[in-house]
Amino acid sequence: MGEPDAPTTQKITDHLDENCLAFLAHSPFCCLSTSDAAGNCDCSPRGDYPGFVRALDAQTLVIPDRLGNKIADSMTNILDNGHVGLLCFVPGMTETLRINGTATVTDDPALLAMLEQDHAVPDLAIVVHTEQVYLHCGRALLRGGLWDPETQDLAAEVPSSGQIWASMSGWDPTVGTAIDDAMAGAYKVLY
Amino acid sequence: MRSRAGMIPLLVSEIVSETPSIVSVRLEASDGSPLPPWVPGAHIDVQLITRHERQYSLCGDPADLTGYRIAVLREPASRGGSYYIHSFLRVGSRVWVRPPRNLFALSEAPAYLLLAAGIGITPILAMARHLAAEGADWRMSYLARHRDGIAFSAELEGLGDRVTTHISSERGRLDLAGLLADIAPGTEVYACGPQGFIDELAGLADALPEGSSIHVERFEPKPREHRPNEAFSVVCSRSEVTVEVPAQRSMLDALADAGVSVGGSCLRGVCGSCALNVLEGLPEHRDSLNADDDSMTIYPCVSRSISRELVVDV
Repeated sequence: MGEPDAPTTQKITDHLDENCLAFLAHSPFCCLSTSDAAGNCDCSPRGDYPGFVRALDAQTLVIPDRLGNKIADSMTNILDNGHVGLLCFVPGMTETLRINGTATVTDDPALLAMLEQDHAVPDLAIVVHTEQVYLHCGRALLRGGLWDPETQDLAAEVPSSGQIWASMSGWDPTVGTAIDDAMAGAYKVLY
Repeated sequence: MRSRAGMIPLLVSEIVSETPSIVSVRLEASDGSPLPPWVPGAHIDVQLITRHERQYSLCGDPADLTGYRIAVLREPASRGGSYYIHSFLRVGSRVWVRPPRNLFALSEAPAYLLLAAGIGITPILAMARHLAAEGADWRMSYLARHRDGIAFSAELEGLGDRVTTHISSERGRLDLAGLLADIAPGTEVYACGPQGFIDELAGLADALPEGSSIHVERFEPKPREHRPNEAFSVVCSRSEVTVEVPAQRSMLDALADAGVSVGGSCLRGVCGSCALNVLEGLPEHRDSLNADDDSMTIYPCVSRSISRELVVDV
């Protein structure tokens, strides 16, 4: 694989400068990686209004825990093992911001109040102390055509979430349709 | 995510640092076309590119419809709007606004007392300039914690000695009760400022002389206790639909799900954009706009129903 170029390693810092803060302020989506004490890994999507990963200062981030599947993998992992990795996206931008650091879970009411969105205050939030921050080049997203409108037709070729869910649970395929209908209603409630 | 339907796209044309923690922002149409008119006390909903939407009082000159001016306080505990505006908004940034609404308009009165605290100066400044131009009998007190917290000082100096500033770090708390006791009967009081200031004033309403009243504008919801959420039905008299509002869903969201669109901007019961008239039933008011619990105007972004069913005019 070879060694990374010096300019590549030089761009890794331990904090968010003004440009990284601007990246985060416009980012509505990230993936959060965690692992338990034994090293078993997990990666989960997090999305909200742009800037939902809020920088409290150049080395402290706070991420609201919104309504999800109620499988609190990230939370239990963080309680076990604080090391986390974040990959942050801005729609239309091929470069991604990578942030690695140490996390804790908080229920501090003053902090949670800052994360109010559409009259919902989260019950918990994740505070991340940054240790590595760097911009990842855009080749992966360019190769994958992630923001290319023409790639959006791929979704129609994938079985629906109801079909996937029913099959993985060993249920009759007709249950999948009912799940799809139920999810369409459930997706109206985002907070 | 919030929609931008019906909003007016504008560009930031100027950002001025008015104090170490307040910026004023001028917004203009990209083609210079005139903006909808307003009178002092009006506010606009401003949506940022991040879709955060907030209400700001207009503090510029109503005669100048080539632009709107708002002012924004840097909030250390910002929910996102103030943080974005102070850190990332630039000349040329795009924003989206709704036409001005006014829940704080001046009424006819023989005399006026204007009270502003902190960022509450924004609607009060527009009122002061208007009353000065009209040759009205008015006075204004502007409270700030520190001397460098006084915004728009050059503009205020131009209004002469009817304006007094009170710096509480230098002179202690302002004697609001004394100020109100001194006003002539019939004087109307207009006040805008943070929660504590508005609450203190509300507690002094009894001290007012005959024929006077206090008008306040809040930018934060009144803190209030309310009973647990229960499900209820909303009968929409004009749309001829009945909408079930689950316990965990706001009435505004439930109406929107059913295709009954009633606007909504602040979603915290302070801006008034989602107001509906109640025709039958007993509303449970959780907003910060209604003065009394018997009001038949409901703000469905936060308010609910005590009766199992509510009939509204929509």
